[in-house]
Amino acid sequence: MAMKILVVDDSVTMVLSLKTTLTMNGFEVETANNGQAALDKLKSGIKPNLIVTDVNMPVMGGLEMIGKVRALPGFRFIPILTLTTESEATKRDEGKRLGATGWLVKPVAGNDLVKVIKQVLPGA
Amino acid sequence: MATAPLLEDTQFIPQARGARSGERDEVVPDQTPRLRRARNRLLLQTGFGLICNLLLWFALSYMLGTVLIPYRFQIAVLFFLFILIPGAILMQMNWVQARQGIAELGVVGTLTKSQLAHVSARRVAMRDELKDSEPYIEVMRGQIGDSLAESEREVMKVIEQIGLLIAQSNEQREKIAHSIKSGKELTESTHQRVENNKQIIAAIEMQMQEQTNELRSSFEHIENLAAEVSALTPLIKVITSIAQQTSLLALNAEIEAARAGHAGRGFAVVAFEVRKLSVLTTKAAADMAEKISWTCKRVDSEMAEAQASLEQHESDDAMTHLIGDLSGMQQDFNTNSELLLEVIAEVDASYEESVNRLSQALGHIQFQDVMRQRMEHVQEALVEMRDHMQYMSEKSFDFVWTGKFDRNFKQILAAHLNRYRMASQTRTHHAVAGGSSNSDNSRPAIELF
Repeated sequence: MAMKILVVDDSVTMVLSLKTTLTMNGFEVETANNGQAALDKLKSGIKPNLIVTDVNMPVMGGLEMIGKVRALPGFRFIPILTLTTESEATKRDEGKRLGATGWLVKPVAGNDLVKVIKQVLPGA
Repeated sequence: MATAPLLEDTQFIPQARGARSGERDEVVPDQTPRLRRARNRLLLQTGFGLICNLLLWFALSYMLGTVLIPYRFQIAVLFFLFILIPGAILMQMNWVQARQGIAELGVVGTLTKSQLAHVSARRVAMRDELKDSEPYIEVMRGQIGDSLAESEREVMKVIEQIGLLIAQSNEQREKIAHSIKSGKELTESTHQRVENNKQIIAAIEMQMQEQTNELRSSFEHIENLAAEVSALTPLIKVITSIAQQTSLLALNAEIEAARAGHAGRGFAVVAFEVRKLSVLTTKAAADMAEKISWTCKRVDSEMAEAQASLEQHESDDAMTHLIGDLSGMQQDFNTNSELLLEVIAEVDASYEESVNRLSQALGHIQFQDVMRQRMEHVQEALVEMRDHMQYMSEKSFDFVWTGKFDRNFKQILAAHLNRYRMASQTRTHHAVAGGSSNSDNSRPAIELF
């Protein structure tokens, strides 16, 4: 059974390109356009194996979402990768403190992303 | 004084003349009363200050005069000086500041009326230009926004096309996988069938060998039988000879019976019958000889044909050819199957490579998002620029305004440094505006915690 990945980004091009890349590499993809929408999906029963999220988004940003996802039951150890244009060290450290698994600065080549996902996702 | 360089700026003269000739006629006359009012207000403030000082001096002198104290006149003078000197200093400062303000407005008393009109027109033109910058900046923002939207649409189309290509490739890959499975199954099935056929052919060959052996055995039996039948021919001759001798004997008996007369009549009948029998025997023997001869000839003919057929059958290698052909076919099929599987494997590897390259291409498409965010930042900066220029436009005729901005362009620009999200934005800023970044950019683009 294919591993499920939740992609969270407010850019439609990012969502579509990530969805295409990940689907092409054998993953099942769910999408959300901000942190709140992602949380709603998780609360509605969707259980992804991994989350890839942007940081700067409307309604709810990626870092706030990571903190809230970690507080949800059953999502304490799920890998969460941030894929963002944000390259400030302070933001990275904040992401690490909130529970992000890794920090990827856009643009990231699709195969590099898949490599990282397979690295942090056991059995992928 | 700021007036001299302003008047020396000849570039503006035609516009000022244009203003006088009608372009801005509605503006210039309106400014002169305002400037006059400003000058009058200044004079009134100065006069009011002087009168207040004098009144204060008179009041103090009166108060001192009501009290009998020594040296009251000297004390009153000192008070007067204490009041007058700071007042005069303050008035002087006020006057200098007012002169500077008026000088900036180009309304220093040294200006002629014509020069005043020029300066006023320039100021109006500058205000109008600043005001007109708003639609200009809005258009530029619109251009950037539309370009972003357009690039987003086009990138979406590219991704959709790539998605279709991938879907098509996936479909082909599934077909290829199915072909590989079918090809392997077909190869195995054919191999199994050829093996089975070989066994069947070997069994048939064995059976045919057995049949040949049986045929040869039967042939030998028939040959022996024919020989035995041929061996009957001499016996026919013996029978014929016996029949002929019997016939002669019967004839002699008949002659002897005739000689015996009446007594030999019965014997003559017997002799006649015996001779008749011998004739029949001779005829039967002849028939038998003929039939045996015919049979022998037929047997010889059939045997010759059977011999020829047997010899041909023994020397015939059709079955060997058939087995050879089948083996060849199997070999060819195996070779072709392996070739086909190699081709399919290469196509499969090519698909993997295509997936890899498409993944990379899709990664590069993230550039659109990077560009979008940089452009959105530029749009925000344009809004700040628009607001600042509108503020300048509004303040250009505000005579109470001190000339201080809440934030000037330098401060607005410097504030951007704290709002950049990307290292590339900071690099560009420093490359153009100077300075260096304090942030740590040594961390990798991909970092796992």
